[in-house]
Amino acid sequence: MIQLFNVGKVYQNGAPALHDISLKIPDGDFVYITGSSGAGKSTLLRLLYCAEKPSRGQILMGERNTTRLKSRNIALLRRDIGFVFQDFKLLNNRSVFENVALPLQVQGLSKQEISTQVYQMLQYVGLEYKLQRKPLELSGGEQQRVAIARAMVVNPRLLLADEPTGNLDHELAVEIMEMFTRINETGTTVLIATHDKEMLERFPHRTVVLHGGNIVSDDSPDSTDTCEETT
Amino acid sequence: MERFRYFLQRTVFSMKQSPLLCSATIGTVAIALMLLSFFTLIVLNVQNLTKQWSRDIQVVVYLDQVPSQTVLEQWLEEIEQYPEVEQVNYISQQQAFERFSERLGQNKDLLDGLMPEVLPAALEVSLTETARSREGTERLISLLKNNKEFHNFRYGQEWLDRYDAFIFLLQLTGTLAGGFLVFATLFIVSNTIKLTIYARRDELEIMGLIGATPMFIKAPFMAEGAFQGIIGAILALGGCHILYYFFLKKGLAALLTTAAAENIHFLPLIVQIAVIATGLLLGFIGSLLPLRKFVRI
Repeated sequence: MIQLFNVGKVYQNGAPALHDISLKIPDGDFVYITGSSGAGKSTLLRLLYCAEKPSRGQILMGERNTTRLKSRNIALLRRDIGFVFQDFKLLNNRSVFENVALPLQVQGLSKQEISTQVYQMLQYVGLEYKLQRKPLELSGGEQQRVAIARAMVVNPRLLLADEPTGNLDHELAVEIMEMFTRINETGTTVLIATHDKEMLERFPHRTVVLHGGNIVSDDSPDSTDTCEETT
Repeated sequence: MERFRYFLQRTVFSMKQSPLLCSATIGTVAIALMLLSFFTLIVLNVQNLTKQWSRDIQVVVYLDQVPSQTVLEQWLEEIEQYPEVEQVNYISQQQAFERFSERLGQNKDLLDGLMPEVLPAALEVSLTETARSREGTERLISLLKNNKEFHNFRYGQEWLDRYDAFIFLLQLTGTLAGGFLVFATLFIVSNTIKLTIYARRDELEIMGLIGATPMFIKAPFMAEGAFQGIIGAILALGGCHILYYFFLKKGLAALLTTAAAENIHFLPLIVQIAVIATGLLLGFIGSLLPLRKFVRI
């Protein structure tokens, strides 16, 4: 369970990004964070993976209060989180295999375990035959699948994606969204920041709408009630 | 073990993968350390040379009368006990006459008809290395003056003043220029490494996102910096040896006497090891400083 209590964020230059956000995301949920540019979607995600500290409020991930974590514990927390970004954030000088293997190397797994798990994950995203290629030799969709494989290889409890379909054409975007749906079905909590309305309609899930750093609506497709609303 | 192997692989791999950045760091360390090593080489040789000159610093005590053997032995024993004294020799009138005669060379026949007794017997007192200064010499003379028989001294006051001034200038120049070179080296090397790390900031960010601890991220970079520092230092020593051979050994041999040129030596082994250790430290610290800025989890 991810819980945010009255979280606010003001950047060092004085620009407010989020105001008094309260939110609960149960384990295994699939949630979209949406809103126009500058609404605070990316800031919210950055707070969740501790790239930023909130200016006020508390964030609980499971039983851990992430606002008080030290560098080493932040690193350990991130091992439970998979990340997918619009710009893929792959290491272009390393092969597909090495990119996917990276989180496992960080966790100190043996070579044998790494090989097995990476291969299985590449099979899962359908790139096992391109494991020696470098990211820049792949299409955008394939690069995003490598990023998803890297995020999922550690079997994270939470998958965060920031505009994951932003750089992809429609067909590839659908393919990636289908992959997120499959991942969510295995029990992983999926949180996607996006403003791609077409995808929100095609793959309906709980949607939290941000505007000017406030939550203006929080709706689930199977119910009309608003779970939280903080303005 | 897996981690160690990972760090080693990463270090070698990233150096192979970015040869230009790697060469820039090695080259910077090599040039900076070569200048520093060559400067050290010059300072050490000048120090060596002045040490040789300083051996000539001695106090000569002219004796009014030739002492008896017993008295002489007493004096020698007494003088040898002074902390400033390295050695003391008795020069008899005969020895003094022979030396003088030798010094006159072709004109030694000027001494024909003169007896050795025209010259006084003397005690030649050599000073220890630390006492070879005007201050040390004067301290020794005040001790020697305790003996009433000793009142006629010669110790080349003017030469000593010039020697002291030269040593002071040498130390001042050495400290200032050496200090400047050390800081310039650290500045240049750390900035070059900072640029190479800046070029790989995406890698640092991604490593942080996938749960690498700060130490896990920094270790391969620091190992790489240290390794490049060692290679740079070895190249610096090679370059310094070339400069030494062509400029000091060959170049100065043409200007100085053979004996003087032979006294110019390359850096002693311990200094060479120190240069390599400096390279290692430069690479290590040069990497650590920018990493502290870039690796923020």
